Amino acid sequence: MAVFKILLINGLVIGAIYGLIALGYSLVYRASGLMSFVQGDMVTIGAYLGITFYRVLGLPFAISFILTFACAFGIGMLLERGVIRVLLSRNVIPIYIVLATIAIQYIIQNTAQAFYGSVTQRFPAIFSKPTLTILGVTAQTEAYFCLLISVILMILLHFFMTKTKFGTAMRGSAMDAMAAESVGINTSLSTGVTWGLSAGIASLAGMLLGPMYGVYTTLGATIGRKGFAGAVVGGYGNMYGAMVGGLLLGLVETFISGYWSGTYKNMVAYIILLLFLLIKPTGIFNESAIQDV
Amino acid sequence: MADIVKDEILAQEETDKAIAKEAELQAAGGKAEDDKAHPVVLETRGVTIQFGGLTAVDHASIKVRKGLITALIGPNGAGKTTLFNAVSGVYIPTSGEVLLNGEHLEGKRGFQINEAGISRTYQVINLFRSMTVLENVMVGMHTRLKSNFWSDLFNSKKKREEDAEAREKAFEWLKFVGLDEYANSPAGSLSYGKQRLLEIVRGLASDPQVILLDEPAAGMNSTEKLELDALLKQILNMGYTILIVEHDMKLIMNISDYIYVLYHGALLAEGTPEEIQANPDVIAAYLGGEDDVI
Repeated sequence: MAVFKILLINGLVIGAIYGLIALGYSLVYRASGLMSFVQGDMVTIGAYLGITFYRVLGLPFAISFILTFACAFGIGMLLERGVIRVLLSRNVIPIYIVLATIAIQYIIQNTAQAFYGSVTQRFPAIFSKPTLTILGVTAQTEAYFCLLISVILMILLHFFMTKTKFGTAMRGSAMDAMAAESVGINTSLSTGVTWGLSAGIASLAGMLLGPMYGVYTTLGATIGRKGFAGAVVGGYGNMYGAMVGGLLLGLVETFISGYWSGTYKNMVAYIILLLFLLIKPTGIFNESAIQDV
Repeated sequence: MADIVKDEILAQEETDKAIAKEAELQAAGGKAEDDKAHPVVLETRGVTIQFGGLTAVDHASIKVRKGLITALIGPNGAGKTTLFNAVSGVYIPTSGEVLLNGEHLEGKRGFQINEAGISRTYQVINLFRSMTVLENVMVGMHTRLKSNFWSDLFNSKKKREEDAEAREKAFEWLKFVGLDEYANSPAGSLSYGKQRLLEIVRGLASDPQVILLDEPAAGMNSTEKLELDALLKQILNMGYTILIVEHDMKLIMNISDYIYVLYHGALLAEGTPEEIQANPDVIAAYLGGEDDVI
């Protein structure tokens, strides 16, 4: 039972991270009909920005957190404005745009390597108390913190998308750009903000992961792929599906490592992805059946 | 009692005088009266739209007068929708001007043109399909709401009040077209004819100066068409101004105050429904191999 509880917490923590990244994939897909490989690397960028603000510059964690989000938001918007939109406006077939995002992914990874080197960087602890015991489960304090912040971010995003005028405008633009423009929604701004938000959320995932995993240049690429798988499992393009899919994937792979072997956790995770693609490509949140975002 | 009767007589006299004056003006050409009672709201001046070497719209100049239904007709491919798209900001005119109350609209983006006061519906329905029917109308009001990002996020009292008001107004619009019972259903689940009605009230919800309707009767059955006919007249009575593209000639001749005929992108004729129906050029254009017959 004790093992189960620990695995459960660990699974939820990594699952929440996958969920945050998956959210970004789904938002971007809804807004632009594309998948961006850079999404995963925003995790890396977020972690490095976190190190820069928190460790190098010595700013308080909360400030570093906000600054990281702001920077990543800007990078995401810049990516959309400077690359994606330019290619879309030239009517390039989508696979070329996806390829462009792969190119940017490697540019980011190598740039990060140039700045921070190829060794794993230490992300300092956020709390002075290394472990925390909740309901008899002892885990790294940062793990509980990660879970808490992830849940808060998901709730905030839900409120933003459904209750605010801007969130509604973003949903509207994603659903039907023509209709959105004709009711006075600036679809170009909405799309830009969607990319910014996706990047921002991923960067925060990176900051939450940093203290637990350490930071290296391919951190985001690996985890990003899992996030993508989570988005597909949940129902690609569905915000809530992304959260559930991410959590599910995190739990499954953690339990596999715990009860079977860590060597096979990726294999099992991707077998699940393949099964979903073959048997239920609409994901858990059957896209056409549920109100999507 | 006597006073009321006297007042009524006086009012009657006033009306009679007004009618007499109107008749006088009509006789004098009608234009001066038109400008006063129905000033030009929306105007295109020599709008030309080219795609590569193809001229889709060729120097089209039309005037849309306040409180009237102005129609744009013409055989398939005449450039009606293209001209619509140039007015609503989907296309930027190659040359020419689009003016709303004297303000230049050409080159502006679609959302800016909506903010300036032009709503539109599409030939192929564009709704927020997975939002509810009510939400669709509320989104139509968005640009007119004052709440901002922060008041939204913190759900301030002002925001909640504004929301409640918008919700109520949106509901009124739904009642107006008889969609109130579907308020909470996804817009995509409505029948085709009802989706059209929803698109129209979503457009009206932003309280536009002019609403552009692109083939609103397309795909409607004859009962729905009759209802649309009545609805458009009601909308007009509420003080709105309509520019309509439509293939259904019976509907057009019945509701329009003024008609422009486009043929191969250029203006072929303009006038009242009677004038258009009697115009030999128009008849020839329509009989020249097209399936639409006046």
